Amino acid sequence: MEAPIKQPLLRLRDLSTDIALRRGTVHALDQVNLEVNQGETLGIVGESGSGKTMTVLSIMGLLPAGGSVVGGEILFDGRDLRGMAAPELRRVRGVEMGMVFQDPLTSLNPTMRIGAQVAEPLRVHQGVSKAEARERAVEILRRVGMPRPDKIVDDYPHQLSGGMRQRVVIAMALIRSPRLLIADEPTTALDVTTQRQILELIDDLREEFRMAVILVTHDLGVIAGRADRVAVMYAGRVVETATTAELFRAPRHRYTEALMRALPESAHDGDGRLYSIPGLPPDLSRPLTGCRFAPRCRFATDECRTTDVALTGDGHAFACLHPVTEPVTIAAAAGHDRAVPAAAEPILTVRDLVKEYDAGGAGLRRSAGRVSAVAGVSFEVRPGETLGIVGESGCGKSTVGRLVAGLETPTAGRIVVDGTDIAGLDRRARHRMHRQVQLMFQDSYAAMNPRMRIDSILTEPLEIQQVGDAAARRARVSELLDQVGLPRRALERYPHEFSGGQLQRIGLARSLALRPRLIVADEPVSALDVSVQAQVLNLMRDLQGELGLSYVFISHDLSVVDYMADRIGVMYLGKMVEIGPAHQVVRAPRHPYTKALLDAVPSPDPGRTPSPDTTIQGELPSALNPPTGCRFRTRCPLAQDVCATEPPLSGAAHQVACHFPLRQEAGAAATA
Amino acid sequence: MTRYVLTRLGQALVIVILVTLITFVILHLLPGGAARAILGKEATLQQIAAFNHEMGYDRPLWEQYAMYLRRLVTGDLGYSFQLNQSVAEAIAQRLPKTMLLSVASTLLAVVVAVPLGVVQAVRRNRWPDYTINGLSLLAYATPIFFMGLMMIILFSQVWPVLPPEAPQGFTLAEVLADPAGLVLPTLTLTILTVAVYSRYVRSSMVDNLNENYVRTARSKGLSEGRVIVGHTLRNGLFPVITLLGMYLPALFSGALVVERLFNYPGMGLLFWQAALKRDYPILLGVTLLISVATVLGALVADVLYAAVDPRVRLKAGRS
Amino acid sequence: MTAREEEEAPVRGMWRQGLEVFCENRLALVGVGLFVLLAAFSFLGPLFYQTDQVHTDLTRVFLAPGTDGHPLGTDGVGYDQLGRLMLGGQTSIVVGLAAGLLATVVGTVWGAIAGFAGSWVDAVMMRVVDAMMSIPALFLFMLMASIVTPTVPMLIVIIGAFAWLGPARLVRGEALTLRTREYVMAMRGMGGTGGRAVRRHIIPNAIGTVIVNATFQVADAILYVAYLSFLGLGVPPPAANWGGMLSDGLADTFSGHWWLLYPPGIAIILIVLAFNFIGDGLRDVFEVRLRRR
Repeated sequence: MEAPIKQPLLRLRDLSTDIALRRGTVHALDQVNLEVNQGETLGIVGESGSGKTMTVLSIMGLLPAGGSVVGGEILFDGRDLRGMAAPELRRVRGVEMGMVFQDPLTSLNPTMRIGAQVAEPLRVHQGVSKAEARERAVEILRRVGMPRPDKIVDDYPHQLSGGMRQRVVIAMALIRSPRLLIADEPTTALDVTTQRQILELIDDLREEFRMAVILVTHDLGVIAGRADRVAVMYAGRVVETATTAELFRAPRHRYTEALMRALPESAHDGDGRLYSIPGLPPDLSRPLTGCRFAPRCRFATDECRTTDVALTGDGHAFACLHPVTEPVTIAAAAGHDRAVPAAAEPILTVRDLVKEYDAGGAGLRRSAGRVSAVAGVSFEVRPGETLGIVGESGCGKSTVGRLVAGLETPTAGRIVVDGTDIAGLDRRARHRMHRQVQLMFQDSYAAMNPRMRIDSILTEPLEIQQVGDAAARRARVSELLDQVGLPRRALERYPHEFSGGQLQRIGLARSLALRPRLIVADEPVSALDVSVQAQVLNLMRDLQGELGLSYVFISHDLSVVDYMADRIGVMYLGKMVEIGPAHQVVRAPRHPYTKALLDAVPSPDPGRTPSPDTTIQGELPSALNPPTGCRFRTRCPLAQDVCATEPPLSGAAHQVACHFPLRQEAGAAATA
Repeated sequence: MTRYVLTRLGQALVIVILVTLITFVILHLLPGGAARAILGKEATLQQIAAFNHEMGYDRPLWEQYAMYLRRLVTGDLGYSFQLNQSVAEAIAQRLPKTMLLSVASTLLAVVVAVPLGVVQAVRRNRWPDYTINGLSLLAYATPIFFMGLMMIILFSQVWPVLPPEAPQGFTLAEVLADPAGLVLPTLTLTILTVAVYSRYVRSSMVDNLNENYVRTARSKGLSEGRVIVGHTLRNGLFPVITLLGMYLPALFSGALVVERLFNYPGMGLLFWQAALKRDYPILLGVTLLISVATVLGALVADVLYAAVDPRVRLKAGRS
Repeated sequence: MTAREEEEAPVRGMWRQGLEVFCENRLALVGVGLFVLLAAFSFLGPLFYQTDQVHTDLTRVFLAPGTDGHPLGTDGVGYDQLGRLMLGGQTSIVVGLAAGLLATVVGTVWGAIAGFAGSWVDAVMMRVVDAMMSIPALFLFMLMASIVTPTVPMLIVIIGAFAWLGPARLVRGEALTLRTREYVMAMRGMGGTGGRAVRRHIIPNAIGTVIVNATFQVADAILYVAYLSFLGLGVPPPAANWGGMLSDGLADTFSGHWWLLYPPGIAIILIVLAFNFIGDGLRDVFEVRLRRR
């Protein structure tokens, strides 16, 4: 890391941005002050609506319709962008700044060749010839780690994977050799192993090009590993800023503290509950007085609600009247084994489950091939237990969930619920089985009929299964609302009137309606902010204890699964590669893929650096034609010839499907 | 790509066969039966019997249909006793003139509608958008013959610069020799078409302007003009190619009314005259031909779209 | 994200919310106003302004507006033009509404069956739609009108019988998307049947699209009646419709009888605009997303 130069490259002074909407004006940014030095990475962290994205869009002049900067200065290299003439402004933004966006799948022009898009800034701002532009594009694509860059320049975006497209966007930003690179959630849409590749690439390039980088993210883990300094934003303001080490060692603002305590990683022993911030962020279209976090803060006093608290302090600045003094630790705490009666009969047993789809091929013609989504997966779930299933997109984890919930029919294999194989059931019996197993969705808004009131939404499962009479159903629905902590008046409202966290509670209430014994939760908190995520996770655990539920908890987020699950299964390309007790899988992984996955997860502990040798290279193979034998062997650092034969899932409690497991099963020597 | 084209071709073929089936069914629904309808009211019973035998109308229906298809394939669309001319010949004389009218007004409409739609999208929800939108809705709500009449009143009565009637030439060359007479019919058809196209271009452009890739393009410091012309326009106009195909039936319907209003000697006028005289061979022949033209037009548009859009072009080829 | 005022905001029903959205669209209100006005003129007008619209009176032809108790003059066979506009409006509105309704019902049923049945049933049913759609509507209408004598019910059937293709395509597409929605999956996860999915989830969510489309169908049907009349295949006198009056008026344009041309022309434009405005307003109402803020 470089020694910062005297004058900051970019300085925001009292930047205020408004967005005019149909119903009133949202004051998205209110007097934001920030600095970025050359060669340094500034992390901006905050939840949705905090203004972190608006800040960088204001700098780049890319505000959405109705948005405009209404006050303050944007000083780039000492010159205020707000006072610049349009052509000069375009040149500064186009040449000296570069931006990487969140969603690589939609950030590229679908009908323009990669090379033309990447080299466009050169052609426009520097008048470079077509041939030279192409050459430079190839060169920069090679630099960002694209395989066969001389071929890819002539490709179109849809021919590349998400990770590859993000490399293209980065290449596009870098081809102008910018002095400032802005990355807005650059890896949020990507899998963790790809995320790691991209973040490392940005790090390397920053050093090589001596750029300043602004990294915007909601993920404290990403910030901890990559930023030199951090600014924490809340409700359109910067509430705290400090060096990364300082911030994570001793956060001062109560909001920063709450954010860290809400992380699943912070769950200490005791009852294992997460700290959750009550309430919701304020409505920025209304006039606000005092500290904007005060209504949700445990330590707020009347003074907080009336005085406008300014950002004070040198180096480590924060805007809080009652700052944190006690230490906050995000411990990668020891496992929290709960007592699960191991001897009990499993509520769910899955044996050799297979699901294949026809690829493409519509109509009467035979299809081109079969997609192997799930290839021989076996596991069981005992009463009161949570089984976590993790894996990256395309690994088949959601398909397993839908199969277990009976939404799809398996191609082969058995799914035994409470002693009955549901694969062999007729429609009537399957209908009854649905009482036992219920599904909880990632996007509850999409999973609720927008034209039904919450009342009808919660009553529907009872009607379908013909449970009780009208009065009994009403009583049950009220009881459900109490269980998930929502007021009765919610019943008369429609889904679009609720926030994400509230909808997730309603979704949970609906899956509980039939008193199921097993709930399959497919990415139930992935769309939520950390503080709201904590509320939902706490609720799920409380209800599990209260009602003796079992969960199959499907997620791409290892830290959430680690927090929730008793046992964890890891899937890769349709196969279960490792399954065992949560703390063993996370702390003593046996499969090379699990190890790589764990190492790729950004940890909110700046002191932890992942081992560099476990980065997985390359792309996920196609499920249309998966590798024979061990499906991970094409990307595995340990692969040998024998891996072409399929390794069985072996072991006692902690099983692994690998010819060269990283370690023996804990306690296996004794039994062997 | 090849596979897509083949699939689309197969579909078009099925549709054409279904269309022939529909005209065949209508032929047999005609009052007094096909023979009476074709030969006219004065035909004697012997004539009808002879005709039925000659055309195979006394055979089983499926056989009749097979014969009907066979005749169509050889270009035999029937014979108009009222015109004393084969249907194919009557159509061949008028088809080029209708094509001229349709193609000219479509080209003109595209040239006008694309800039209008783009301006609307770029200035959306501001006065240029509202104004153009209002005008195109007005054009859409006005019966096209009323619109044409307004044009006649304006340009040949109030300000007499153009003839109120279309050129009456027998051949295409004769029609082209009187370009002034072509202006009003073409313009009338164009106005209706512009009303439809500009709305479509607008919504397609608005969709594209909201895409993330536009933000990426702006982040490169491109001028607004370059963002629109270099990035959005192409993507926004691809779907318009498909629209050209989809809009053909409405275009031909419009041409029918315009030809009648301006007395333009094309297929529409032929069809109209035939309808008044109940000249069924002409009616069915024109209907069939115009439907096949529609199917082929839509096919060409879809294939063209697939050829220019890399997302379609490069996808199907792989699997 | 949304509804942070959940505690304070008053509870409003779906209808109430929909009405509010509709009223926000000023043009939609104009559309409703126009329609009410024109319908009242056509159906209630004759109660207050009685004229003989059956017997021709060749002694009183082409009277200019204002003469002899004829506020809008008389036409070429002596009918009072104002009274005739009322009569014509009845036909135009009735045929438009009935044909639009018929097309919507037939199209919805056809499209829904194709969409739900899927596979080859869908393929066959949609190819039929494709085939009929490739025959330009006006040609088909004229062909039919040349076979049967056009009366008001016949016009409704002819237009309805071919205008259903658009709604059929629309509904099929809607059915295909709706049945893969997550809330339908969620319902199946509770053990619900296909019938319930259709009744409780798919129809309520598709109905908006259908209703919006129906208003445009009505507008188109009114125009089709006008075109058929212009092409000489409308309802024969003494019945009248605005399209027919307009086409008759064309012949008199150059004789200076403007009152025979512009009133029916303007009436058609206004009623078609009215239904288009109403349709746009309804589209806003059914767009639930618009309410998510």
